[in-house]
Amino acid sequence: MKQVLVIGGGPAGLTATKSLVDRGAEVVLVEKKESLGGMARELTCKGLVECRNCGVCFAIDRANDVLRERNAEVHLLSEVMSVQKSDHGYSVKIKTSPRYVTEDCIGCGKCVVECPVEGKAIFPPTGNGQPRIHWIERGKCLHFKKAKCEKCSSVCPTKAVDYEDRARNVIRNVGAIIYATGIDPIDACEMSRLGCGVLDDVVSSVDAERILNETGKLVRPSDGKAPKKIAVMQCVGSRSVKTGVEYCSKFCCKYATKISQLLLDIDPEINLDFYFVDLRTLYEPQDEFKAWAKAKKTVKLIRTMPAVVSPGKDGKLLVRAATENDLEITETEYDLVILSVGMRPAGANSELGKSLGIAADQTGFAPGGPELEGKGVFVCGAVTEPMDIEETASRAVAAASKIYHMKEEGA
Amino acid sequence: MKAKIQVVLCKCCTEMPALLNMERLQRLAAESNNVLSVLTVDAVCDGKDLAAVVTDAKDKEIDRAVVLACHKKDISPALFKAYKRAGVNEFLVELVNIREEVVLPHTNMPEKAQAKAEAKLKGALARSVMLSPLERQTEEMKTRNVVIIGAGVSGQAAALEASKTGVHTILLEKTGKTIKAPGVIVTHGQLLGASGYGGNYQLKIKAGEKVEELGAAAVVIATGGGWTTLKGSLAKAVRDALPLYKFYEQMQAGSAPKSPVIIVDTPDPAGKTLKVQDYAWDDTLETAIELKKKLPETQVFVVFQEMRAFGLSELAYKEAAELGVKFVRYDTAGTPKIDSKNPTTMSVKDLAQGEILNIKFGTLVFASIPPNQDNKAIADALRIPMSVDGAIRRGSIQRWPVSTPRPGIFVCGSALFPKAKDVAEAEGMAAGAMAGEFVKRGRIEFGGIVAQVTQEKCSACLTCIRTCPYEAPFIGTASKAEIRVQACQGCGMCVGICPSKAIELHNYTDDQIMEETRVLLGGDF
Amino acid sequence: MADGKPKVVGFCCEKHGMDSAVLAARSGKQFDASVRLVQVPCAGRVDGMHLLKAFEDGAEAVFVLGCLEKNCYYDTGSIEGRKRVNYVKLMLAEVGIEKERLEMFNAASTNAWAFPEIVSKMVDIAKKLGPIGGGGTQ
Repeated sequence: MKQVLVIGGGPAGLTATKSLVDRGAEVVLVEKKESLGGMARELTCKGLVECRNCGVCFAIDRANDVLRERNAEVHLLSEVMSVQKSDHGYSVKIKTSPRYVTEDCIGCGKCVVECPVEGKAIFPPTGNGQPRIHWIERGKCLHFKKAKCEKCSSVCPTKAVDYEDRARNVIRNVGAIIYATGIDPIDACEMSRLGCGVLDDVVSSVDAERILNETGKLVRPSDGKAPKKIAVMQCVGSRSVKTGVEYCSKFCCKYATKISQLLLDIDPEINLDFYFVDLRTLYEPQDEFKAWAKAKKTVKLIRTMPAVVSPGKDGKLLVRAATENDLEITETEYDLVILSVGMRPAGANSELGKSLGIAADQTGFAPGGPELEGKGVFVCGAVTEPMDIEETASRAVAAASKIYHMKEEGA
Repeated sequence: MKAKIQVVLCKCCTEMPALLNMERLQRLAAESNNVLSVLTVDAVCDGKDLAAVVTDAKDKEIDRAVVLACHKKDISPALFKAYKRAGVNEFLVELVNIREEVVLPHTNMPEKAQAKAEAKLKGALARSVMLSPLERQTEEMKTRNVVIIGAGVSGQAAALEASKTGVHTILLEKTGKTIKAPGVIVTHGQLLGASGYGGNYQLKIKAGEKVEELGAAAVVIATGGGWTTLKGSLAKAVRDALPLYKFYEQMQAGSAPKSPVIIVDTPDPAGKTLKVQDYAWDDTLETAIELKKKLPETQVFVVFQEMRAFGLSELAYKEAAELGVKFVRYDTAGTPKIDSKNPTTMSVKDLAQGEILNIKFGTLVFASIPPNQDNKAIADALRIPMSVDGAIRRGSIQRWPVSTPRPGIFVCGSALFPKAKDVAEAEGMAAGAMAGEFVKRGRIEFGGIVAQVTQEKCSACLTCIRTCPYEAPFIGTASKAEIRVQACQGCGMCVGICPSKAIELHNYTDDQIMEETRVLLGGDF
Repeated sequence: MADGKPKVVGFCCEKHGMDSAVLAARSGKQFDASVRLVQVPCAGRVDGMHLLKAFEDGAEAVFVLGCLEKNCYYDTGSIEGRKRVNYVKLMLAEVGIEKERLEMFNAASTNAWAFPEIVSKMVDIAKKLGPIGGGGTQ
């Protein structure tokens, strides 16, 4: 049976890989970054005692599943350099950059502590990315410059640092390709009047999730204190002519409402103001979050888009917004502001995509379609349209199924 | 029969020796009772080392093993297969996670780590001696059917996908509508009841006047939303109010609706409970845009509580607004009202303007997707859980999408939660593919770590039956509980809750768990 | 306990309970060595007897770690586990043993921070309250 190439190791790529492998196919999975999981690596589980169905653990569990499968050949720090049409499908050249750390790595992190480079040159896997093996960014590493620095290697308890690691090129012949390059979060700094990048205590939802994922707590970046009054703002960057992202990113309300619930689980005395335009809680009745907010006396739902976030008194933040009926201006002080950002598709307009016939349409997404599928190229996941992890999983199983049957017809 | 144990110490390449004294562990193992062989390998996940383990196991004729290595999930399939070749029952192979429980988290405490590793070895040996060999069994699926309940968008997608896998696919539809589904048998009927377990379900179907038995290996629930039911004060006031899909059908058939057209999110806006009355925004916007393009003179109002045009539908929202569709948002404090004695005007408080609007209407359309009324009967028949709002509840998100807690039963589309057509179709395909794959195997595997009842102790209190999500316990002919092994998932919930302590879980018996705990507590660290 | 070596036992489910401990270990998190983990198929398998016997055998603090509620691999197992823990807490109170010694926790496979916090919480409780009854355990 011919192999299948999956480009992208995020929720879509991982689910499709596992689904194909379960059905007996062989898969070559190529991931640009150093670990599997995609954006889900940096998102946090949003439950403390009770699961909130965000889907993050699903993606990471699938990453672990794929790494255990003999029929899934995983290439990390890799990119597809070229795709040539061949008799039985495609001939694909994959380039893998050297990682410089072997599987003996136990993730202790002593190397990172010892690394003398400003901003470090050796890193743990991002967030919850799998496998849990560190990696060296050659461009920053002093060993590869004039100084033969060996600080990390000398302190590694299992001798896992391998400066002799080399780039590798392999060629694979595949019968079908899944293009699942995923998303990039919108940079909250694009909405400049909301203070991100300027005011320390204004964080984007991506940063808030990353911090919660690493530490289980969200503290003010400026002084490390626990915030007592938090503002969460929706639709930052999405549904906006200014950023050019006029669509709705679909998952932000879902994740932001669940983060709000998590923050209140962690500290039930937090005052939380939820600024939103429309409450688009996916797969949940619209009233459920409203009912929860009403039951928690300290949560307010405010239907307005704040205009400006500026420094307030005593290190707080001042949020200026019009009221729902546009008749008054309110100014409220907060300890922390979280800006819920949406996403843009990643790789929708890449050279590689174009060589496969994949191009972004006027919305910026790469929709795929029957013509591409007829050639054995399947576009899958959030690069086709906004979706959350759960929908991505179903779509990926559906795409994998199409490939499975396509191949049986004598690919 | 005396136990014959092989102890394998895996170095995990360089990791274990970096912290632990391997010789001391080897000596401890060699000096322990029942240990016939102690092997130290570099990496038990490596084929060559595994071969050496198998050879040694065969030579020494051991019957069980204790392997000190890393996380079970990372080595187990290959390891158990290898031991099988050596004649060792897979359930007599104990995997001890020294890497993640001792070496990785205690790098600064070598003495404590050593004592802990030794205690874990002793605990595993104590447990190993108490284990029994267990056998997995297989059973042929009596009827290799996939039965799909509901021939809507997701149901049809599921049916086509399941039939592509080559299994016999039956699509069960309660209404009499004609369905074109190549390769699929369409039956008009409803599910009345069900029994059995994944791979061998027996369904009771009502087809016309007859009640029939139908075997099924897997079931896909695709009952969709309760589109056709219109209840509530608004529906009562306006006799010829239409559900959105009907309105759209009429529009496609060429009829011009009486202007102004009001599309309302729910026929019962005063509904106080958390009903899944979500609004079919994709379809609403598509309908409104088409209507405005075809008949620009028609006035169209969309009256709603929350504007939930997800994803790219947001662009349709913009287009609809530009075409002149009026959007009116209300909340529970000022819901839309129609005087039943004079059903020509709807009054609703428009929150954007802060005023009460009186909208004269010609056609009233309801776009809500309430939960399907049949869901309760189906969930009861198949013994799967429902959500508080009347939809079918999916299994935990750890498991695959579109699945329920019971093996072999899948659910997709608006039966789970109202969703757009293309998402429902994708879910249907996923469910059909998974159901088809499941049935294609032709047999189910079960047994091994399963529960067993000691009937003399059972007081038939039914607690186990109420606790098990998988319908494994049942009251048998002796009026005592028995376990249907084919359905048992080996979780042990019934074992933990049985007040008479009449149930045991093989290889996780109370004695085994408590002995392991006792030995671990004996260590000095 | 002798020389600051408290005895803590944790009954971990083999799904997300163990997965969270494994992720914490693989993320370089360090925690107190006194915790002994006993793996069970599901938190719902844990019997009140196991918890009480652990105390009898010298444990100063005991916890049960299962999947997040509503995300249990076996659907309702972690909820059952919590019921068991709550029931045994009542029994401990009746015989004059501090309820804090026994606790139920939930974690997901992606919570690297959760397991070390659970361990440190229970080790602190064991150190603070000391052996049961104040006198020596064996």
